[in-house]
Amino acid sequence: MIGTILAACGAVLVAVGTFGIVRFRDVYSRLQASGVSDNAGLALVLLGAILHEGWAPTDWTLLFLLLLMLITNPIATHSIAKSAFVQRHTGEDSP
Amino acid sequence: MSVVEGVLLATIVPLLLLLVKAPTAWDRLLAYNSAANRVTAVLAISSVLSNRAVLLDVAIVYAALSFIGVVALARFMERGEGFR
Repeated sequence: MIGTILAACGAVLVAVGTFGIVRFRDVYSRLQASGVSDNAGLALVLLGAILHEGWAPTDWTLLFLLLLMLITNPIATHSIAKSAFVQRHTGEDSP
Repeated sequence: MSVVEGVLLATIVPLLLLLVKAPTAWDRLLAYNSAANRVTAVLAISSVLSNRAVLLDVAIVYAALSFIGVVALARFMERGEGFR
């Protein structure tokens, strides 16, 4: 029951974040929407999948997947942001 | 839980549209990153719902490969030799 509630909260967060990604103007605003909502929302969804119908042996794998996504997702977002920033300020068409 | 899976699958569609028609290359990379995260979560939920533990291994490999691909593409475009 509580797993379903957590997963529903995560789905709402992911839907709001997708709306933000589609509606925002430039790449930094989109990174803001994507980074925050993907981390929180997908972590809530995976937590809901872990707590779904008690504790099973495969939940260790789900926990590892949750840790992996919590570690790699901010790194990917920061890498994209740094790439856009550096290229904008040192690239060929920089102002 | 299947409603959550349907919502996650539905949020992939505008990201794929953005992947085609976003203005800069970083927008497309960001859309690909978000879509890959959603696919990973959909695989995890699907494995829990259908009691197939193989899909969890598929999800882990998918997450690791998409992370490596996104970071490699970002570092490649950072040097200014990338595609616009």
